[in-house]
Amino acid sequence: MHSWNTTAPIYQQLADRLAVQLLDGSPPEGEALPSVRQLAGQYLINPLTVSRALQALVDHGLVESRRGMGMYVTTGARSRLRATEREHFLEKEWPALRAKLARLGIEPEDLNWETPQ
Amino acid sequence: MSTDVLIEAQGLTLSYGRKTALDGVSFKIPKGRVVGLLGHNGAGKTSLMKALVGLLPAAGGDVSVLGLSPVKQRGQLLEQLCYIPDVAVLPRWARAHELITLMSGLQPRFSADRARTLLKRTSVGLNDKVKSLSKGMGVQLHLALIAAIDAKLMILDEPTLGLDVMSRKSFYELLIDEWCDGERSVLISTHQVEEVESLLSDVLMLDEGKLVLDISLADIDSRFHALSHDPAAADAIASAHPLLRYRQTGGRGAAIFDGELPPDVAGLGERIRPSLVDLFMALTRKPQLTPTQA
Repeated sequence: MHSWNTTAPIYQQLADRLAVQLLDGSPPEGEALPSVRQLAGQYLINPLTVSRALQALVDHGLVESRRGMGMYVTTGARSRLRATEREHFLEKEWPALRAKLARLGIEPEDLNWETPQ
Repeated sequence: MSTDVLIEAQGLTLSYGRKTALDGVSFKIPKGRVVGLLGHNGAGKTSLMKALVGLLPAAGGDVSVLGLSPVKQRGQLLEQLCYIPDVAVLPRWARAHELITLMSGLQPRFSADRARTLLKRTSVGLNDKVKSLSKGMGVQLHLALIAAIDAKLMILDEPTLGLDVMSRKSFYELLIDEWCDGERSVLISTHQVEEVESLLSDVLMLDEGKLVLDISLADIDSRFHALSHDPAAADAIASAHPLLRYRQTGGRGAAIFDGELPPDVAGLGERIRPSLVDLFMALTRKPQLTPTQA
């Protein structure tokens, strides 16, 4: 039931999960996010914490609040998110991964490059 | 008193004969909150809840619930309040629909339609007898009945005690979906600290009758700081006097500090989120529970 870890505040972890879904096109740009109450029920998180997570997405320009209608995915949210995620991977994750590949002696031809369907 | 404050206690003291159950406790609960009341057995949780519903007169201090005095205006208060005590039992012979009829007669703010709607979310049928229900279903029925009262405040004393994990999850879902609307508040006592952490907006922590923490979950992140570190750094961390040193799952050492990490300590590991259960251990540990030094 408790799938929240201790690496970051819970609102941050929820914001990250929602961002991953936005990156996968769910919901698509211009469409509405589920309401605070829906998200609270789905993730079993306090509504105030959900609002904090949504505010974090607003602060990153990924969603915008439309008065009386809720939160909508902004135009260009996916490409911006993709750019930051790419940057994060190339600068932070790739060096560690490359070091591990070298340690294990894994060459590019040892890896399966097919994209899973 | 502002109407946004649902519960206000000032120096509340409760005693059973010579034994003090609650010692000068002050706090406020505004509307729209989910407040966790945490404490070891005997810390005073049930006594506090009893005082809030007028079952236990204050030996000192003041308490007001929905602007009323729980003891002097008990009848008026109980019409506007939902309460499940720790010893709650529904009559075993009754069917769900009979309890709905009973509640309609007893409780002026009870909505039978709402109760039937809430029951549809559970696996309890209108014709089911209480004695045929599992413990989890019984608690769901009880919650559906009291959540059908048009009230601003719900007080739940260890509602999930003895329930399996699926029943607890259904219970929390019902509570979040059907009760928490930004206006109503709930005060809930539990030992399942880890599970309720994400549900809560605020926490009250009692230790031996004293209120040791009254904080919002958002403020926990800014007030307390935790560090995960290698065993080699243990001595340096210990000398900085953290609130608690403990082992994370996986065996790495960790420490919680009240306030910003001391500068000489911050570089000795990675920052982690101080979880509610670790904070609970740090602030209420009893001598026999003192973890072995990491």
